[in-house]
Amino acid sequence: METELLTETALERRAPRRTGPRLEPPRRRRRLRLPPAFYTTWESLRIALSSLRANKLRTALTLVGVVVGVAAVIAVVTIIKGLDQTVASTFSSQGSTVFTISKRPSVITSREDFIRFNRRKDVTQDDAESIARLCNLCWRTGIAANAQATVKAGDRSSEGVRIRGLTLSMFAIEDAVVEAGRQWTDVEEAAGRDVAVIGPDVVDNLFDGAPFDRVVGRQVRVEGRSYEVVGVTERLGKIFGFSRDNFVEIPYPTFKKAFTARTSLIAFIQVPEEAQLTAAEDQARAIMRNRRGKTFREEEDGFTLETQDVFIDLYKSATANIYVVTIGVAAISLVVGGIVVMNIMLVSVTERTREIGIRKAVGASRRDILLQFLIEAVVITSIGGLLGVGFGFALAFVLAKAMGFPLLFSAGSAILGVSVSSAVGIASGLWPAWKASKLDPIEALRAE
Amino acid sequence: MESPATIEPRALEHGDLLAHDAVPAALISMRDIWKTYEMGEEPLHALRGVSFDVQRGEYLAIIGPSGSGKSTLMNLIGCLDTPSQGRYWINGKLVSEMDDDELAHIRNKEIGFVFQTFNLLARATALHNVELPLIYAGISSADRHERAKNALSSVELSDRMMHRPNELSGGQRQRVAIARALVNHPSLLLADEPTGALDSHTSIEIMNLFERLHAEGNTIIVVTHEPDIASRAHRVIAIRDGQIEKDEKIR
Ligand SMILES: Nc1ncnc2c1ncn2[C@@H]1O[C@H](COP(=O)(O)OP(=O)(O)OP(=O)(O)O)[C@@H](O)[C@H]1O
Ligand SMILES: [Mg+2]
Repeated sequence: METELLTETALERRAPRRTGPRLEPPRRRRRLRLPPAFYTTWESLRIALSSLRANKLRTALTLVGVVVGVAAVIAVVTIIKGLDQTVASTFSSQGSTVFTISKRPSVITSREDFIRFNRRKDVTQDDAESIARLCNLCWRTGIAANAQATVKAGDRSSEGVRIRGLTLSMFAIEDAVVEAGRQWTDVEEAAGRDVAVIGPDVVDNLFDGAPFDRVVGRQVRVEGRSYEVVGVTERLGKIFGFSRDNFVEIPYPTFKKAFTARTSLIAFIQVPEEAQLTAAEDQARAIMRNRRGKTFREEEDGFTLETQDVFIDLYKSATANIYVVTIGVAAISLVVGGIVVMNIMLVSVTERTREIGIRKAVGASRRDILLQFLIEAVVITSIGGLLGVGFGFALAFVLAKAMGFPLLFSAGSAILGVSVSSAVGIASGLWPAWKASKLDPIEALRAE
Repeated sequence: MESPATIEPRALEHGDLLAHDAVPAALISMRDIWKTYEMGEEPLHALRGVSFDVQRGEYLAIIGPSGSGKSTLMNLIGCLDTPSQGRYWINGKLVSEMDDDELAHIRNKEIGFVFQTFNLLARATALHNVELPLIYAGISSADRHERAKNALSSVELSDRMMHRPNELSGGQRQRVAIARALVNHPSLLLADEPTGALDSHTSIEIMNLFERLHAEGNTIIVVTHEPDIASRAHRVIAIRDGQIEKDEKIR
């Protein structure tokens, strides 16, 4: 306010100051008036871009840390979002109305556990049948037995195909859709006929991806036994890079005949509604313990009762770990990136001391200079942030294509990436900018 | 804050020290100004007790041998440097009491400084160099362009606006520096050897320009070696070894 007074009252006491014939435009047009800070900010942006352009290599090196940090976050967030959706759609088809009883848990983390679980009794058809009979809360029960084998058709063969021996009820429990042909019948199942419902991958691998209805009626051979293909299921796609369509399903009685050595099975039990799940589990557990002769409370079950939640839990803990690691990587690279930016800015301030002196001499205030260098730092890191977002999405895109999950670009993570990198710019530019703003004009002018 | 309005203007002799509460009414008032550089053993006194006043509307020339302290003095007047000792009022206000914003404002709006060494931005065009003070004055880019172009044409550089300093001759650089000093219509023009790199014809043009600015009511202080230039001023201060040797009105 003092300055204002000074201008208006005293120094302006000069007669026709604004009428000089050559220095002054002849007339003043009315133009849009923007606040003065706008023009100095715009100038700062201009300076920032031109000085970044003048030192391309340096700018590029400065960017690396920020780019890596932001790219890591964007890639991981995008990938995990895609996986989340896959997982959600995969497991919601069975939902939380299904639980299983099996010899071993589906997730085993140590060798000792594996050995211990292997000593348990097999879960048998009798077990499953008594649950079906005795558990009145259990709505549907089904049997699934698994094996792996090479499947052949004509002169073609495919290794490592999942062979599943199922009861018919499994189609309902798993909500499986037979796209071409049909399921096998009760009669075929009871008689242990050699019929099969196959997955789309088997069609791809053995029948050159022929239309599904053309495959119905053909034969596939597994371990020397021929099966008539009666149906082909709908394509489910991949999860975590593993196909869910590479299988041959045959009636359980047929499976028992063909794969005698592998007898432990998984009993699937479904309840009509999620609310009944716990009660049904308790009932089934009691029946099984009874059959295993486990009467004491403290005694181990000797079988595993679990729901699909184990997969979701496993998935959640895995993704949580990935998030933690990513945040760590991102934080480290952003901090390193920030330090690099600060360093470069300090060099830049030193190199441009004379420029700062000139600017101050013609009227730049401390704030103007501070803003100039701060904006420069933010411009660098924001460019890094934008590149990081680009690279992150590109990486996610490549991985999504390779592993087969949907790509969910989120604007939120892009905005977060850019704002975090801008914040890094402010944090790392503050000190150099402050140093620049504090320079004494005459000393700065004398600098070489 | 001391107010200039309450003070009777009065003529001051050199070396006449004001009482602490007295505020001079002159545009520029220097009292016993010393500038000392600590160089190794011996302190170097670039200025040793300089006192003088400059009234509004004066046209003053400062002359003196090389190294006598003329540029040092100009830097002090231009609020770019601070004295080691002594007091300096500009427009009745103690410069040492001004904050950064006030100083920036004065450098920007009230003072036009033509540096002996030009001090142009090496990477910017002549036009942008001249625009610089207008940027910090917060003037829109369209107005800025117009005014900067006018200032450049007043020093006959319309055809070199897009050249960078290293693409200009010494005299042309000097004229860019002059255009920059004039572009914001300063009420106080400080020119340190503004014609040092110019031929006599261009020098005369520039001096005519200064004269016109003076006629318009502005205050002008010119450092020069050339008697011709000095004789155009209305008052001449001669400096030797950091002291005022002579101060005379010549018109
Ligand atoms: N930053 C500095 N550090 C040390 N000594 C300095 C500095 N600046 C100026 N001096 C000294 O102060 C003295 C006055 O210098 P100044 O630049 O004011 O001279 P001048 O009168 O402008 O000379 P010229 O006519 O050559 O431009 C000189 O002796 C110079 O060496
Ligand atoms: Mg000098």
